[in-house]
Amino acid sequence: MRMTAASVYRDSIASMERTSQRLLEFQEQVQSGKRINRPSDDPDGLAAAIGERAEVAAIEQYTRTGDSVTSRLTVLDTALNDIIDRLTLAQSTIVGAQGSQKTDGEREAAARTLDGVKQALLADLNTSFRGTHVFAGADSIDPPFMMTGSVVSAYQGSTQEVAVDLDQTHSATIGIDGSVISQGSAASDVFTVLDTAMAAARSGDAVALGQALTDIEAVFERATLVQTRVGTTLSSMESLKGALSDRRLATKARIAKLEDADLATAITGMTQADAAYRASLAATSRITQLSLMDYLK
Amino acid sequence: MPGLFDSLTMAARSLQAQQFGINVTGQNISNVNTPGYSRRVTDFADVPMPAGGGVDVQGVRSIRDMLLERRLLAQVPLGTYDAAVADALAVVETSLGRTGDTLDARLNEFYDAFAELAENPTSAVARREVQVAGEALATSFNETARRLNANRQDADTRLRNSVDEINTIATRIAEINAALPAATANEGGLTLRDEQSALLRRLAELASVGTIAREDGGVDVTIGNGRALVVGANAYELETAPTAPYGYAALMAGDFNITSEVTGGTIGGLLYVRDSAIPGYLASLDTLASQTAASVNGLHTAGFDLNGAAGGAFFSYALAPVGVSGAAAALRVDPAIVADNSLIAAAGVALSGDNGAARTIAALRNQRVLNGNTATLGDGWGSLVYSVGSDVRSASNARDTHETITREVDALRDQVSGVSLDEEALNLLKFQRAYEANAKFFTTIDSMLETLMNSYRP
Repeated sequence: MRMTAASVYRDSIASMERTSQRLLEFQEQVQSGKRINRPSDDPDGLAAAIGERAEVAAIEQYTRTGDSVTSRLTVLDTALNDIIDRLTLAQSTIVGAQGSQKTDGEREAAARTLDGVKQALLADLNTSFRGTHVFAGADSIDPPFMMTGSVVSAYQGSTQEVAVDLDQTHSATIGIDGSVISQGSAASDVFTVLDTAMAAARSGDAVALGQALTDIEAVFERATLVQTRVGTTLSSMESLKGALSDRRLATKARIAKLEDADLATAITGMTQADAAYRASLAATSRITQLSLMDYLK
Repeated sequence: MPGLFDSLTMAARSLQAQQFGINVTGQNISNVNTPGYSRRVTDFADVPMPAGGGVDVQGVRSIRDMLLERRLLAQVPLGTYDAAVADALAVVETSLGRTGDTLDARLNEFYDAFAELAENPTSAVARREVQVAGEALATSFNETARRLNANRQDADTRLRNSVDEINTIATRIAEINAALPAATANEGGLTLRDEQSALLRRLAELASVGTIAREDGGVDVTIGNGRALVVGANAYELETAPTAPYGYAALMAGDFNITSEVTGGTIGGLLYVRDSAIPGYLASLDTLASQTAASVNGLHTAGFDLNGAAGGAFFSYALAPVGVSGAAAALRVDPAIVADNSLIAAAGVALSGDNGAARTIAALRNQRVLNGNTATLGDGWGSLVYSVGSDVRSASNARDTHETITREVDALRDQVSGVSLDEEALNLLKFQRAYEANAKFFTTIDSMLETLMNSYRP
C-alpha cells in the first residue's frame, strides 16, 4: 500500500478533530453541569424532561394554591368558630329570658345581648379575605348581608360556591354560600329569627321564644355542618401538601437524572479524552516529522 | 560501430533524460499539497544502438484510476448533503431556545397565571398577570416562528450562493474542455486534467452530478435527471427563480424547474432543510399555536368577564392563518383584552366572584387536546423539540459515517495518484545516481578522446 503525504495529513487531521471534539463535549458537560446542552444531545431525554418540568410547574402551582387556600380556610374556620360561639350565647340568652319572673330590666338586657349577637353574626358572615367575601359564594365583591337601620337584608350573595383545585383530583371550596348557614331550608333567616327573639324577649312571649330557640338550634346545626366541612378540608391540606412535596422531589430528581451530567463520569471521560487528544497530537507530530529526506545524504 | 563522438552525444542525451527525471520528481514534490494533482511518472525508452544508443524520454504520464475518481464523485455528495443538513439544523435547534427555558416554560407560566386568577377572580393584579403571561406565550410563539423562518431564509441565501458557485465551476470545466484537444498529450494537458478533477470534486460537494468522459479527455456534466450542465465547450448555467409566497429560489435549467430533481451535496441538503425540515417544524408549531388558541378560546368564550358579560376570544391572530399555517407567527392576546383586562373571563357563571372559566383554563395543563386528544399542549412542544433534536442527531451521525467513507475513498485514490514524499526522495536519489554515472561515462569518453588527441604528435 502506498502511503502518501496527503492521506497521512488527512488521517491525522481527522483523528485530531475527532479527539478534540470529544474533549470539547466532555468539557461542556463538566462546565455546564448538564448532560443535555441542546436537543440533539439526547432528544428522548429532553422531551421527557419537558414533560417532567410541566409536572413540576403544576405541582408548584398546586403548592402555592394550597398555601393560599390554607390561610383562606383558616379565616373561614375562625369566622365559623365565632358564629358558633355567638349562636351558643344566643341560645343561652333565650333560655335565660324564658320564665315569668323576669324583670323588665332582665328582659331588656336579654334583648340587647341578642342584638349584640345579631351584630356579631352580621360581621362574621360579612368576613372578607383579600377583597373577597368568603360567605358570599361566587358573588363575592359585595358583602352578602347589608344592614339598613336595624334591618339586615336577605342574602345577597350567590348560591354558586367557589372552589379551587388543590391537585388534579382534589379541590377546596373557598367561597361558601352564606345562605346555607343563615337560612338553609328554613322559612326565615337567622337575623329575622333574632329580631323575633328580641321582640319576644321584650314582650315575654314564651311561645315565640321557644320557637326562636328551636330556630337558632337549626342555625347552629347548619353552621356546625359547614365548619365540619371546612375543618375536614383544612386538616387534609397538610397531608396533601406533603404528597405534593414528595411528588415534587421525585419529579425534580427525575429531571436531574435526565438533564444533569454525572460529574464523575464526565470528568473521567474528559481526562480520557484529554489523554487521547494529547496522544493524537504526539502521534501526528511524530509521523509528519519522519521523512526519508532526513536519511539520504 | 559508433564513434567516440556518438558516445558523447549518447551521454549528453542520457544526462538530459536523468535531469528531466529529476525535474518531474521536483514537480511531484512541489505539488504534494495541490488538490487534484496526480503524480507524474516519466516514461523512458532506450534508443537502439544503431540510432545512437542511450535513453530517450517518451513522455510524462499522470497516474489516475478513473474508477476511483468516479467513486469519489458518487460518494462526496452524500457526505456534504448530511453536513449541510446537520449544520443548518444545528442552528435551528438553538432557535428553539435555551434548554429548560423554551416555549413550554411560558406555557406553564400561562397556566400558573390562570390558577392564580382562579383563586382571586376579582383581583386586578391576577388579571394583569394573566394578560402578561398570555402576551409572553404569544410572543414566544411569534419569536420561535420568526427564528425558524429566518433559518429558512438563511438556507435559501446559502443555496443561491452555491448555485452561483456551480455556474462558475461549470464555465471553467467548459473552458477546459475547449482547451484540452490542443493541449492533450503534453504537460499542459495533464495540468488541465488535474484542474478538471479538482473542479469535478468541488462540483460533487455542491450537488450530485453525472459525468460522461469525452475522447479528448474532456468531460460532459449533467445535473438532476440528466439536465446538461456542461457539454463540450458549452456551459449551461443554472438559474434561480423566485417562487411565491416567500420568494425562495427555484432551480431552473433553461425553462425547466429542476428543484425537485437536484439531490445530494450542499444544495440537496439546503433544499431539504428549506423545503422539508423547517416547514415541518413550522407546521407543528402552527398546529400547537392554533390548538392553544382554540382550546383557551373555547373555554374563555364559555365564561363571563368581570362585568358579567360573556367572554370574547382570549387569543386572536394579527393575520388570519391559512388553515393553521402562519398561526404561530400571528398569535396574539386579543387587543380588546390588552386594552381592558376586566374582559378576561374568569367566571363560569355571570357572577364576578366565580372562577369556573379560569379554573378550567388552568386545568388545560393536564388536558389532552392535541393529536386527536392524545397529547397535552406541553407534550406537543416536547415532541417538536424531540423531532428537531433527533433530526440533528441523525444528520450529524450520517455526516460522520459518510465523511469516513469519503476519507477511505480519498485514501484509495491517493494510493494511486497521490504523491509520496518518501518515494520521491528515492526517485531523486535514483536520478541523481544515474546522472552521476552518466557524467562519469561522459568524462571517460572525454578522457579517451583526449588520449586519442594526445597520441598524435606532428
